[in-house]
Amino acid sequence: MARYYEIERTAWDKALIDLLSSFRVFAPILKGKTLDYQLIQEEHIPHIVYNIPKPVVPLKTFFLPIKENVVVYKKEEKPIIILGIPACDLSALDLLDKFFMTEVYNDHYYAGRREGSVLIGCDCHSANKHCHCTSYGLNPFPENNQDMTINMINGHAIISSFSMKGEELLSRILGMGLVIHTFDEVPERLTEIRLKVKRELEKANRLLPNYQETTDAVINSDKVIWEKYAKKCVSCGACATICPTCTCFLLIDRPGFEKVRQLDACQYPGFERTAGGENPLKKLEYRFKNRYLCKYLYRPEKFDAIACTGCGRCIEACIAKINKNELLIELTK
Amino acid sequence: MATRSENIYKPFKVTLEKVIEESPLIKTFVFVPEREFRFKTGEFIELTLDGIGEAPFTPSSSPLVTDRFDVTIMKAGYVTEKMHNLEPGAVLGVRGPFGRGYPIEDFVDKEILILSGGCGLAPIRSLLYMLIDMKDKLRKVVLCYGSKTPEDCIYKPLFSELNKINKFQTLRTVDLADQYWEEHVGVATVLLDHVEVDLAKAVGVVCGPPVMMKYGTLKLLEMGFPENLIYLSMEKNMSCGLGKCGRCMMGSYFVCRDGPVFTYDEVKGQPNIW
Ligand SMILES: Cc1cc2nc3c(=O)[nH]c(=O)nc-3n(C[C@H](O)[C@H](O)[C@H](O)COP(=O)(O)OP(=O)(O)OC[C@H]3O[C@@H](n4cnc5c(N)ncnc54)[C@H](O)[C@@H]3O)c2cc1C
Ligand code: SF4
Ligand code: SF4
Ligand code: SF4
Ligand code: FES
Repeated sequence: MARYYEIERTAWDKALIDLLSSFRVFAPILKGKTLDYQLIQEEHIPHIVYNIPKPVVPLKTFFLPIKENVVVYKKEEKPIIILGIPACDLSALDLLDKFFMTEVYNDHYYAGRREGSVLIGCDCHSANKHCHCTSYGLNPFPENNQDMTINMINGHAIISSFSMKGEELLSRILGMGLVIHTFDEVPERLTEIRLKVKRELEKANRLLPNYQETTDAVINSDKVIWEKYAKKCVSCGACATICPTCTCFLLIDRPGFEKVRQLDACQYPGFERTAGGENPLKKLEYRFKNRYLCKYLYRPEKFDAIACTGCGRCIEACIAKINKNELLIELTK
Repeated sequence: MATRSENIYKPFKVTLEKVIEESPLIKTFVFVPEREFRFKTGEFIELTLDGIGEAPFTPSSSPLVTDRFDVTIMKAGYVTEKMHNLEPGAVLGVRGPFGRGYPIEDFVDKEILILSGGCGLAPIRSLLYMLIDMKDKLRKVVLCYGSKTPEDCIYKPLFSELNKINKFQTLRTVDLADQYWEEHVGVATVLLDHVEVDLAKAVGVVCGPPVMMKYGTLKLLEMGFPENLIYLSMEKNMSCGLGKCGRCMMGSYFVCRDGPVFTYDEVKGQPNIW
């Protein structure tokens, strides 16, 4: 059972300054209306946003950059700390880790970055409009894959560690700051917030089918609904690129037998085209539906892990204003 | 297979030794790898033209030879067209072998009926070399091959070689005959009307263009072949070859990792198999 330590925010901020000497630290900062991870310098520390969902890009971009040379290995100068990660993005690692860190064909680029990072999760103290993690059996607070967690409540930081990496970092921090309180279990203040947010999410999504119901509905759907929603889709691929569990990519050749891995999406018309012009996903509605089949049927079946964490980013990102959840509600009505 | 420390995206080098013209659109390339190269029949490689592109191919030579290997390539688009212009001495990159090939151990004591068309004979040639090697343990091998015209028939010497081997039988057909053609005429599946198999002992192997795969499989089913003894070599768009890039999805399968060889009962429920 993890212990929770309460320290002043000022002490935490001081600890971060110290960590900057040995880590590259990324944390969410508000730029205009957008919350996004940023490489932190000392002057950014007071502006780091805690416990508000959620950075606009998913955690996966740290391990699976949009574009990267995968033949010429560039070693990072310093290990990375990623701070302020929401629970949904941490859960996405269940699938991504199984996908890339395999016994045979281990992807060292993914694995190297993953192993070289310390992940500090944050509870969500509120919910965004399209958040629906609870519909898929997840909680709005980190339970999986976090090395440490932090909660900022009334000017106090409550921190805790959940792994060897987290333990190392925590002892370094505790060694310098003044611990106000130590808790042997989740502090009551936090439990209250967790319950409140969970109830809020459940209420907001009461019409949304759960994972299994969604899977069944997608399998048994008739094409009318796909045609209806696909009509608006412009095949921009944003829904896949922004998704914390989408992994598809293309290898592009560069002179010197180098290869660049670039994120790709099944929503692009040429995704499955083979020589001779065969293309199983040529029709827009097949492509459009493929994303739902992938999320709710194919990936869970193959990897025994959920492939939609309910983060809602695909809904926010869609320029055609297609709302996945409206579709799923209509599908199960 | 790649060990954990190997970079799965980095090709090793091979030098082109010889080019054999098989037909107007198909050439066989003989490569000498920089190190010993082993593959099982039906497994494929990703072949890189430096700085230009990469494409999947199934070696067409015998897996028993490890100091060189053949790749038979049909001119089909951007990368394959550039490959057709290669001259001996060219250095290319190879990743692999990848995938699941033919389970030849399951062919022991069987009659093997092979239906192939066009460039689909490339992987089959490698299989045939293995079957020749294990012929004492087989009942018989029947190869049915179809191509568009007599000119498009590849591996001409292979057929005379096979016909000399006891237990091996070959049948060929063309869609469009010329005045010298003395064999069958019609699509590849017509050949199946001319073969005799003992269904209790038979397995079917189908490899060719999608239309042929479809009608060939349906015909074998009609003849009474069990669904789990029809071996299909599925072709999908591929990039990584390793089950990571997602392009070769067929339902929950990644064709590159779970195939490319599947039995019909494994794929029949999946969407868009042909
Ligand atoms: C497992 C497997 C084994 C194969 N074995 C052989 C063989 O032995 N001989 C042979 O001639 N052909 C074989 N093919 C088909 C061959 O890979 C394609 O003809 C080739 O990729 C076409 O590339 P292109 O750039 O010339 O075509 P273009 O149509 O210009 O394609 C451009 C890009 O699309 C993708 N692409 C297009 N078609 C395919 C395809 N069929 N498979 C994968 N990616 C594709 C590639 O990324 C390619 O670079 C095989 C395909 C697979 C999947
Ligand atoms: S499918 Fe949409 S809601 Fe689900 S994880 Fe991906 S981006 Fe988030
Ligand atoms: S197939 Fe589509 S939905 Fe599935 S991981 Fe790839 S891009 Fe995402
Ligand atoms: S983001 Fe919207 S418009 Fe773009 S591919 Fe996805 S569903 Fe279609
Ligand atoms: S070719 Fe990349 S997953 Fe199959």
